[in-house]
Amino acid sequence: MRGHRLLAAAVLAAVAARAGDDARLRAVDPAELTYTYAVGGFAPEYTPPAPGSYTLPPIATVTDHALLDADGRPTTLFALTRGRLAVVAFVYTTCIEVTGCPLSLAVLHRLDRAIAGDRELARRVTLVTISFDPERDTPARMAVMRSFHAPASDWRFATTRSETELAPLLADFDQPVAKLRFADGAWSGLFRHVLKVFLLDGESRVRNVYSVGLLDATLVLTDLRTLLIEAGRSPG
Amino acid sequence: MARRVSFSLMVGAALAALLSGAIPARADETCMSPYMPKITGQEDYVYVWTLGIEGVGDGSDKLVTIGANPADAARYGKVISSVSVAGRHEAHHAGFGDDRRHLWAGGLDDSKIWVFDVAPDPARPKLVRTVDSFVKDSDGVVGPHTFFALPGRMLITGLSNAKDHGGKTALVEYNNDGKFIQTLWLPDPAAYGYDARVQPRLNRMLTSSFTGWNNYMTDLRKVIADAEAMKHFGNTVVVWDFHARKAIQTLEVPGAPLEIRWALQPRHNYAFTTAALKSKIWLIEQQDDGTFKASDVADIANPMDVPLPVDISLSADDRFLFVDTFMDGTCRVYDVSDPHQPKLVHTEKIGSQVNMVSETWDGKRVYFTSSLLANWDKTGKDNEQFLKAYGWDGKQLTALFAVDFLKEKLGRPHIMHFGQERFYKNQIYAGEAGPLAAAR
Repeated sequence: MRGHRLLAAAVLAAVAARAGDDARLRAVDPAELTYTYAVGGFAPEYTPPAPGSYTLPPIATVTDHALLDADGRPTTLFALTRGRLAVVAFVYTTCIEVTGCPLSLAVLHRLDRAIAGDRELARRVTLVTISFDPERDTPARMAVMRSFHAPASDWRFATTRSETELAPLLADFDQPVAKLRFADGAWSGLFRHVLKVFLLDGESRVRNVYSVGLLDATLVLTDLRTLLIEAGRSPG
Repeated sequence: MARRVSFSLMVGAALAALLSGAIPARADETCMSPYMPKITGQEDYVYVWTLGIEGVGDGSDKLVTIGANPADAARYGKVISSVSVAGRHEAHHAGFGDDRRHLWAGGLDDSKIWVFDVAPDPARPKLVRTVDSFVKDSDGVVGPHTFFALPGRMLITGLSNAKDHGGKTALVEYNNDGKFIQTLWLPDPAAYGYDARVQPRLNRMLTSSFTGWNNYMTDLRKVIADAEAMKHFGNTVVVWDFHARKAIQTLEVPGAPLEIRWALQPRHNYAFTTAALKSKIWLIEQQDDGTFKASDVADIANPMDVPLPVDISLSADDRFLFVDTFMDGTCRVYDVSDPHQPKLVHTEKIGSQVNMVSETWDGKRVYFTSSLLANWDKTGKDNEQFLKAYGWDGKQLTALFAVDFLKEKLGRPHIMHFGQERFYKNQIYAGEAGPLAAAR
């Protein structure tokens, strides 16, 4: 364990240096930098229930919010989702949290490939990755993220103009985010955030929220298929 | 730019591979919902959801904050703050939401729920929301008991129902804004409820079973003397397909199985519960075919004496099970390294009565409170009401501090949760010793 921790500390220090963040991070125990979850490195050991064999009651309804797309054009959340089923994830591109943004992006990457290979899902589902770090995650950086993932399905990358524009969006989704600061108030360049990925139906209702212990591509695909079956059953 | 982003992604993946399944776990309580982030290191505060007593202080139910960090000597073991909710509602259990910021607390009598925000000032939680429509929202569920955080929502177990105040009850879900989502009634003939705990990697939830409002709001001596009342206790643990929220198996666990604790280590596909009326430890274990089996693996004290095991706490390494018995005010520590053969390794008299027990994730500290229910607590000089902190060295419990909740005019202390300055201040600190000082 000690070896792991030292190695992790070295990796974190390297990230901090690369990201141009405060050198003081090098001296910090990695456990101080990230959230720790009891569930740890979550790996499902089960087969999800069959699509359509269960229901996903609406949890909340979100409203439209202004965004900037990865090409720098003004857009909105609803302009991206266009009434389709949507998987919406909030990240920042320099996140180093084991159970944070890298996990979110990896799951959306898997979803993207699976959706692209399924004609019905490809026609009905949009993936949206939105940054909560408008200062550094410019449209240009989101475009780099997009090119890195080379979406095969309708996977959109977006950011916002400012923290002022971002705040109501995060509040609407109940997505906690806070800047992780040194005791003297200086920002470390890192955020404290609970990883959340949201499943929206065509009426912008949140039908599931995935966090550590629940975020798994197979499970999200099962839920998407459940919503498609539900839409097929409902009149009109 | 491309190189930099790629590097971050690569490092993230490397880090995930490094730490998967082996994330260091050092503090917080071992029984918290696995879906929420944990505090790490020494807890600064213990939040105690406390029942009011007529004529004691303001007589109201309240959330009490006790200093628990020995580095803060002036406040260590002292009452720092309390927030009253006006009136007595049979304050019982509480639980944090998915961001570990909002503490939901319930009243078993009138089914009210209060939500406290501990983040702005962790030493002084603030009441930010009251939900007084639980019975109406849920279509007749009474007695909000366990509060178990799920991503984006709160899962609440009921104990009773509005129709006959018996034990038939349900699970109820709210979103984090306090809006009702759904009610899931427990299946006949396993319709009673108490605790609910999810093992995420197995997609399995277990629910246990206690008794309804008619019994838990009645004097314990009257209940025990009433043969008809004694028939109305749960005898089952239900296994659920968690994602589908469907009951898939009913296990016979006679004598009111209460708290459920899943093992915390990888490949440990089992949980413990204790049957209050039969005084036994039960192992709920997944079989090779995926179904679950319940086995009575140990007696707790002499079951004929009805010692009434109440709360239990499992150490993070799945080695020790702390079992409180209310009647003799004793904590028994079992070595459950072999879950089929618990071995009693330590016995400690905590007080004249004891109910809740919470062990820290680092295994070094254990906290106890005294109250069970307003009408079930002992009377006269045996009605001690306390929070007591002990150190645990793997062999014995050693007293650290005690707070007398009667002397402090607070009431009957019940469930405990931990708080910490640095977790909520979003600050980075350089070591274990300095965080509290740095926060001020």
